[in-house]
Amino acid sequence: MIWKRYQNELLVLFAFVMMLAGFAYKNSQISAQLEQRSGANSSLLEIKEVIALKKIWSDKKTTQKIKKLQTLIPESKVTWRSKSKKLTASYKGLTASELNKLVMKILNLAVEIQKLEVKKTASSYDVEFKCKW
Amino acid sequence: MGNNKELLLVYSGMQHVALSEDVNVMLTPQLYTLKKEALPLSYAYQAKKIAPSLFEGLLEEGRQYDYMVWKEKEEWVFLAYDMQRITAFLEEKGFALEHVSKLFFAQQVVDLFDTPLALGAESALVSLDRSVVLVPRSALREEEDISWSIDKRFTPKKGVLLQGAYGSLFSVKQTVILAAAFGLFALMFFVEGWRYSHDAKAGDSQIEELLEAYPSLSSKYTRDSIISKYRALDTMERKKRETIKALSTMIFKGVTLTSFAMDEKSFNVAFSCKDDRVTKRLKVLAKENRFNISAVPGSNDLTIEGSL
Repeated sequence: MIWKRYQNELLVLFAFVMMLAGFAYKNSQISAQLEQRSGANSSLLEIKEVIALKKIWSDKKTTQKIKKLQTLIPESKVTWRSKSKKLTASYKGLTASELNKLVMKILNLAVEIQKLEVKKTASSYDVEFKCKW
Repeated sequence: MGNNKELLLVYSGMQHVALSEDVNVMLTPQLYTLKKEALPLSYAYQAKKIAPSLFEGLLEEGRQYDYMVWKEKEEWVFLAYDMQRITAFLEEKGFALEHVSKLFFAQQVVDLFDTPLALGAESALVSLDRSVVLVPRSALREEEDISWSIDKRFTPKKGVLLQGAYGSLFSVKQTVILAAAFGLFALMFFVEGWRYSHDAKAGDSQIEELLEAYPSLSSKYTRDSIISKYRALDTMERKKRETIKALSTMIFKGVTLTSFAMDEKSFNVAFSCKDDRVTKRLKVLAKENRFNISAVPGSNDLTIEGSL
């Protein structure tokens, strides 16, 4: 019956242990939540990145957009060779303004630039452009 | 239940006891002080508050007293007792304190002492003017009935718990307060923990929405494969475009682009500058953009080369 002598202490101790257990439970849940959130966040970022990358680099409209490089400059100045998902284009005698327009257009296209050459001949520019997508 | 236990009357001349099971104890007036007062009070807690002042001058100074209060008809009955003295007395009489459940006072059952109760050969307990008092046996009339023992009938409803009074660190009140506080904290922590565990599950909904729209991305392998395919391409193409944009900012009045070549690994640009001042400014811009500059000997022209 020794427990009875110390039953007050035992009761307080039990309540204290319960409080510690509650505190440990709460902390473990916080850690688990942080871990889960971190995992979920990285998954979410990864999925968003994949979606964004696919949207840019697997855009089905890229072929149509590239065709504008042909019509952007007067036809007489353009030599156009496009096969499958590869393009080789030559531009001769471009004005500075045409060159500017062409380069800006190329920069805004989601294509892999394989070659871009600009040469000044007298007052005009010749451009060689090779890309794939 | 306290009432199921044996009730022992304790008094100074009693024999030593050896307890093997829990008992209740009834104290005689030798171990408490009684006072009755007709006071205009409604509640026992009010009476208990003023109890110490009522006993002023009646009790031994320097000792710690507790009080029990109840109302009898128009009067309030006050009992003052010294728990330390009582426990010391019980131990002296051989009581193992852990076997003592509750303490009662003879005054609580004053009605049952109409018949005197003998306490050994010398004295007796008797009710006089509704107060239980100790009288010499010789003061009793010879023809008067005397009872020799008490039984469970004498156990009042309300008693004093002895736990906490014998060597215990905490009193009952302290125990209740501490246990309640710790219990409350425990409850709060468990509830908070439970809420955190539920909040964590709610965070996945955005992923689920995206995966519903793009079911093919539910596989980590597929995602890794797409990322490895496009991330390097994206980085490289962005670098090419940033380089071209940086080079375009270097074309200003007095600077002419004479040639530019870029392939998948490197680039090369040639600028023709009108004069030294323009060349210097172009060099500054090239340095700001961390490009490698080389001057064309015998002219103001500059060549910039770099890898991607």
